[in-house]
Amino acid sequence: MAVDRARWEKGITYEAFKAAMTRNQDRFAENEGRVALDPETVKTFKSLPQRLRVLVLAEDWCGDVVANLPILGRLAKEVPTLDVRVFYRDQNLDLMERWLNQGKYQSIPVLVFFDEDFRELGHWIERPASVTARRAQLREKIFAAHPEFGSPEAPVDQLPEDVRGQLQAALQKMREDLVPFANAEVQRELRELVSKVAA
Amino acid sequence: MTTRPVKVKITYCAECGYEPQTLELTKALMYEFGNRLSAIEIVPWESGTFDVSVDGQLVHSMKREGGFPEPHVISAAIRRTAGV
Repeated sequence: MAVDRARWEKGITYEAFKAAMTRNQDRFAENEGRVALDPETVKTFKSLPQRLRVLVLAEDWCGDVVANLPILGRLAKEVPTLDVRVFYRDQNLDLMERWLNQGKYQSIPVLVFFDEDFRELGHWIERPASVTARRAQLREKIFAAHPEFGSPEAPVDQLPEDVRGQLQAALQKMREDLVPFANAEVQRELRELVSKVAA
Repeated sequence: MTTRPVKVKITYCAECGYEPQTLELTKALMYEFGNRLSAIEIVPWESGTFDVSVDGQLVHSMKREGGFPEPHVISAAIRRTAGV
């Protein structure tokens, strides 16, 4: 099904999505508050020759939504020509089917950029590959530095509870430390995407 | 016949929205086995995990088998372990 004005208007605004969150609202707000928008990102989006519609597929339980959607939200506040509508993935599976990750995974968030006449200009899914790769590298380092965590491939439920807690804390710290890099990478990819559109 | 209570652990990705599948499996096992289970432990995790172990033996892994387990597969593993 094509996205047209009628479908578009069934989406909710970014602010409405935030208000309706049933979980992770605090984390989402915290992430939004610490987004450091690169002036280059704002400049790129402000210099676009046309208004852009951004269709977002999201759910409030998803870690990548909580991490990355606030970047778009902050950007849209700075760039009034960005019009954002959020659609819940699980209530809009026909839309999800159109923008599957690698053609098979229902990864979110999905950001789909349209012009004013609903022509698709490009889309972005989940998180930058560079962030996934960096996380994997750092995860390997954590396991290498802590033999008590066992093998990275072993089921985590076989670890004693206290060790599992330590591993969880180490992984959370790693992801926290990576936030500035991850946010910068998201912005770089979005700049590149819209720059191609504008070219 | 005497059976041995077994422990089931379900480790699920809390960032992937797998709570419904976790609760559905937990409920199915509670109804089927009742106090023939010593415990059902639910472990919130990450990284797309959905693992089920029975007395420490991994009987389903989303990464290994793909997808979510059919409850009858877990039931069969419990019966084997418990000697039912």
